[in-house]
Amino acid sequence: MSGARPILALEAISKRFGGLSVIQDLSFEVMPGERVALIGPNGAGKTTAFNLVTGVYPVDAGRIRLDGADITRLPARKRIRAGLARTFQNIRLLPHLTVIENAMVSQYARNPSLAGMLQPVSLARENRWRREAREALGEAGLAQYAQEATGGLPYGIQKRIELVRALLARPRVLLLDEPAAGLNPAETEALAAQLEKISASGVTLLVVEHDMHFIGAFCRRVVVLNFGCKIADCDAEAVGDDPRVREAYLGTETDLEVAYAA
Amino acid sequence: MSGYLEGVLVLLAINVILAYAAFLPIVAGQLNLGIAGFMATGAYISAYLTNAHGWLPLPAALAATVLTAALGLVVAFPILRTRGIYLALATFAFGQVVVATILNLNVVGGASGYPVAAHLGFPVIAAIAVVVFAAIYWLFHTRFGLSVTAVSDDELVADQMGLSVRWLQTAAFTIGSAIAGLAGALQAHHFSYIEAQNFNVLLSIYVVLYVLLGGTQTIYGPLLGAAVFTLLPEVLRGSAQWRYVIFACLILALMTWRPQGVVTRSLLRRLFDWRRPAPEAAT
Amino acid sequence: MLAQQLVNGLMLGSVYALVAVAFTFTMGILKFLNFSIPGIFMIAGMFTWAMLKAGWSLPAVVVAVLALGAVLSWIVERFTWRRMRAGDHFIPLVSSMAFLILLENLVLVAWGSDQQRLVLPFQSASARVGDLVIGVPQLVGLALAVGVVWALDLVLRRTRIGRAVRSIAEDADTATLLGVSVGRVVPVVFVIGGVFTALAGVLFSLNYQQASPFMGEEVALKGISAMVIGGMGNIWGAILGGLVIGVVETAAIHWFGARAVDIWVYGLLLAILFVRPTGLLGGGLAGGRA
Repeated sequence: MSGARPILALEAISKRFGGLSVIQDLSFEVMPGERVALIGPNGAGKTTAFNLVTGVYPVDAGRIRLDGADITRLPARKRIRAGLARTFQNIRLLPHLTVIENAMVSQYARNPSLAGMLQPVSLARENRWRREAREALGEAGLAQYAQEATGGLPYGIQKRIELVRALLARPRVLLLDEPAAGLNPAETEALAAQLEKISASGVTLLVVEHDMHFIGAFCRRVVVLNFGCKIADCDAEAVGDDPRVREAYLGTETDLEVAYAA
Repeated sequence: MSGYLEGVLVLLAINVILAYAAFLPIVAGQLNLGIAGFMATGAYISAYLTNAHGWLPLPAALAATVLTAALGLVVAFPILRTRGIYLALATFAFGQVVVATILNLNVVGGASGYPVAAHLGFPVIAAIAVVVFAAIYWLFHTRFGLSVTAVSDDELVADQMGLSVRWLQTAAFTIGSAIAGLAGALQAHHFSYIEAQNFNVLLSIYVVLYVLLGGTQTIYGPLLGAAVFTLLPEVLRGSAQWRYVIFACLILALMTWRPQGVVTRSLLRRLFDWRRPAPEAAT
Repeated sequence: MLAQQLVNGLMLGSVYALVAVAFTFTMGILKFLNFSIPGIFMIAGMFTWAMLKAGWSLPAVVVAVLALGAVLSWIVERFTWRRMRAGDHFIPLVSSMAFLILLENLVLVAWGSDQQRLVLPFQSASARVGDLVIGVPQLVGLALAVGVVWALDLVLRRTRIGRAVRSIAEDADTATLLGVSVGRVVPVVFVIGGVFTALAGVLFSLNYQQASPFMGEEVALKGISAMVIGGMGNIWGAILGGLVIGVVETAAIHWFGARAVDIWVYGLLLAILFVRPTGLLGGGLAGGRA
């Protein structure tokens, strides 16, 4: 981590929806291998920021750089191929595919060509892509669900499947939108362990979360948004002391303390 | 083999081919109500080649398939800018326009129909049906099959996961159109007479309905749908109209109680995984 | 000559307008393309012929056929909307297609595939306005079409059930939360559509003195084009679209012959879907209406 360039850089990003300015002049950097949390009150624009980075919609102004390369105008599908993957706040698994097939969808990003599209992934049981996906599910403790339909599965399981799906694109940067939301304490611990492993393998993590415990234990750095603007960018330990952050969470000290205690 | 039996089997083969022409776009989330228009295109182009230019029927069918694919590709660009019901309506409109255009082409008989001299027998047509099935089977089991299903389920996610959504939708539509054209060419050269009015929206509706009846979750559903649709009148001796009445009632029953079609993934699993008890899966 | 064509086109257009209103009504409120509508149109036309032939008086025929349209559409609702709303969105569409097939083939079984000629129990009178000949029954049809749509518009805007219908068009779930009994209102939507369609069928068969098992496919299906041209969900758009299609068809026949009609009518539909899918007057039953 010597004076390398940031693996992800947002430079003065702005976005309006109709008359409403949702993101204003947002800038921050993430260095390779870092674990950064993106926090803020509801409606602060965290998911919007993710959507801008992954290309769901275009920015109105500013630049986004992935390892130095300008991806501002790059179509979404090419961003994951370049190494930028994400999970969704409201789980978006594909209902007509089994769990393993859901996971396999993102493998194309590593081999985006006609040959890649014509890989016989469902023809032979022991196809390398299918095997790889099964191993990834196994590592995440989800091997027994491989052939299941996604619809009836518990929420926590679905979240983990989404994570495996994002990982199978072998991203350099992983954007996680509220990965711990709705998980019970045991599941949250398992998630933290899994994220540790992922981070140890060199993947940079940018996490939107509300669970300050989880963040405190896992992320070293915190970027705070409010009303689409960055109001703080500091160490996880220091963020609770920042007066603007306290004010953002409705100004009452109790709120932040409650969040820490949760 | 008796002429009558041969006729039924040829019809079955053609209906199977049509089934897969509709199946691929449906998997990609597209309801093609203009499939009869592509069938007509294939029929008339191939018939024109054999009648007016003395081509042999098989090369003519192939050429017609390629040209229909080209038409499908050209039409795909504007049509695939629409979605859902708009897409269904656009394909419906397109099918009507194609048929109406053919009706005005006196060079191929216009409204009086077009007799076709060259002939393709059952063995050839059956072989082609087998080839089409094998090709779609293979395609469905490649990443392409996985990807078009993903696109149909959630375009945003598919895009975010790196898939080229437009390319996939266009490919599914174009391949479907091509196969429909092939079916039309085969029909023209076996039944020796084609009439533009027969390639109407109701034909498209029949095809889509029997594919949905068979089930679109697996590659075998369309086969069953085509078989039921073709063999129903043989099983019930009644008139052609009663067959359609019963077919319509079957569809209504299906949509009420089993909208995913007869052949589903869980059904297949239950039938073939009897050795290993599968975990209880949602249908 | 041109003016006469225009008049003829408008008269034909009034039939398309009624069918288009039926389509646009279910489309706008329930987001559902009801393919059974051409079937009900055909049933109305065929039963008008059959009943007149059996000696019923015209008023009795009209009442009976409208009632039949209402009943049929109520049945369609039971089998399309009611059962299947929870499932995939294509289910009602597919079921409505099954109804079209069912109705057409039942009629084929009953009466064969020939086109039937209606014998009118009244003298078909024509009015003369300058050089123009206007059939009185057709004029009545046009007036009726505009009249019932105007009445429907009033109902939608001024009555409680109209408000309930509009709220469902806006958002069915919210409507339920606000106390609208969706299960009671939706059948009303279907029945209104069915009555409009049946009226169109009666008018068509009376005005053109013909009915066939295929008139649903051949005539009523063009109502879809009219609906989209006018703007899906917009009932005044449906009137406009219907008149446009009527004029386009008549002009096409006049200049290009009967075989070219579908090219123009459906070509126009295709063009609108590509260029301006919201139609001439924009969509939306709930908002942005005249």
